[in-house]
Amino acid sequence: MSEEVNAAAARDERPVKVEVRHLTKYFDTLHVLDDVSFDIKKGEFVCVVGPTGCGKTTFLNLLTKIYEPSEGTLKIDGELADPKKHNLAFVFQEPSSFPWLTVEENLKFGLKVKKLPADVIEQRVERIIKLLGLEEFRNVYPASLSTSTEQRVIIGRAFAMEPDLLLMDEPYGQMDIKMRFYLEDEVLRLWREIGTTVVFITHNVEEAVYLSEKILILTNKPAKIKEELVNTLPYPRNIASKDFIDLRRHVTEQIKWW
Amino acid sequence: MVKVNKKGKKGEFKETTPLDVVYFILPFISLGLVVFLWYSVSTNKPDMFPSMTATWARLVKLFKQPIMRVPYYGHILASLKRVVMALAAAIVIGVPFGTMLGWNRKLDCFFGSIFNIIRPIPPLAWIPLIIIAFGIGEFPKVLIVFIGAVMPIVINTRAGLRSVDQLYLDVGTLFDANRRQILMEVAIPSAMPAIIAGIKTATSTGWMVVLAAEMLSAKSGVGFLVTRGMDANDMPLVLVAMITIGIVGALLGVLTSLIERLLCPWLQIK
Repeated sequence: MSEEVNAAAARDERPVKVEVRHLTKYFDTLHVLDDVSFDIKKGEFVCVVGPTGCGKTTFLNLLTKIYEPSEGTLKIDGELADPKKHNLAFVFQEPSSFPWLTVEENLKFGLKVKKLPADVIEQRVERIIKLLGLEEFRNVYPASLSTSTEQRVIIGRAFAMEPDLLLMDEPYGQMDIKMRFYLEDEVLRLWREIGTTVVFITHNVEEAVYLSEKILILTNKPAKIKEELVNTLPYPRNIASKDFIDLRRHVTEQIKWW
Repeated sequence: MVKVNKKGKKGEFKETTPLDVVYFILPFISLGLVVFLWYSVSTNKPDMFPSMTATWARLVKLFKQPIMRVPYYGHILASLKRVVMALAAAIVIGVPFGTMLGWNRKLDCFFGSIFNIIRPIPPLAWIPLIIIAFGIGEFPKVLIVFIGAVMPIVINTRAGLRSVDQLYLDVGTLFDANRRQILMEVAIPSAMPAIIAGIKTATSTGWMVVLAAEMLSAKSGVGFLVTRGMDANDMPLVLVAMITIGIVGALLGVLTSLIERLLCPWLQIK
């Protein structure tokens, strides 16, 4: 596989956006991450899969700088990652919209915190509303939305930041399969339109194969990168095609820990 | 059953069930029972309890003949004015103070124990000290009401800020909000329903305390009417004052609910 990776990487001429080197994390003596190194290209869609409890969320929290790594570095655009300087956005697994704000106000929240000029806020929010088709919900409070619509608002809120790096932690973990398919296409559309670099954590192999340009497969704890898999299947992907099924099977094989 | 409505649209529509009628009638039955009880007690023991006709006549007389040169509505306004002034002060002082306690652990530790000792003292117990310090003018009455009203506001605000969902705070942090922004944009809006609930409790507490304060030393107010009736052995007047207190109190409750609806529109969604 590694030759294929190198060949594919060589063809990809986008500059490196995120550079992770020797990332290691201990909690007391519990070894969670072990010497993880990889690159993410600018505008790339990366999925992270791994066995249950392998430290996926720790991995993400290191990227957001919620935790400091025990060892190793995380660079964005060649500089050490710093939430003050770099623009990181995050989508939690559970719906996290603010109940006291309308959909439009929720979308504006992060931009207002950043104190962007009013016309920029207006423009970005209008674009997101249009892209997600949220016009009819603009002045509605989240409590009267379905869970999936609320999650779309949250995803929109993250994309509106036009972040350097968007981290998503199993955002569709609680959705039924129909809604998942719908939202997967939605996130791909936003990603393509806005050109954000995305790291998407999931435990659903099919989802990872459907979405990603690159899949990072983690091992059991302490997590290492078992395989860095470049996914060159053309979009939009057909989940019933042979290539898709082969790739899915390969990834499933790789995350088996028994 | 599929039917057609007035606009000619087909569908299944909600119909008035017998149960809806029962729900509608029950409040009137209870009101009727109270009136009946009043009637029977006042007929059987006319010395103990004023009759409805006497009470009604007293009310009519009150409209024509002011007490202490203050008309009936003037007494209501006098009481309301004291409550509103005290309530305004209680909100202006209580909300920021409660926010400080709920947001800053050190301040909470510093003030918390003193506050917990002062809190259970009934506002009326302050009357002697307040009279010595400030006399019996308008200010001491407002101060007593303030003491009663500020407690629930502080308690609720503090509780509201302490129970802000961690997820919301995390979202604020991840959007790189500073601590002041997280307080103003996340924590306080999230605690708003609790703060409003505190103001609602404060309003009803304030209305009760003002009447008690007026019963002690006042020349106007609905509480004063109660004392006046008692001193003059004018029980119909006492009853008129009591009913006034009840109705105004209920209206204040409606008013605060309307304010809640205005300030927390997202709570209306069920």
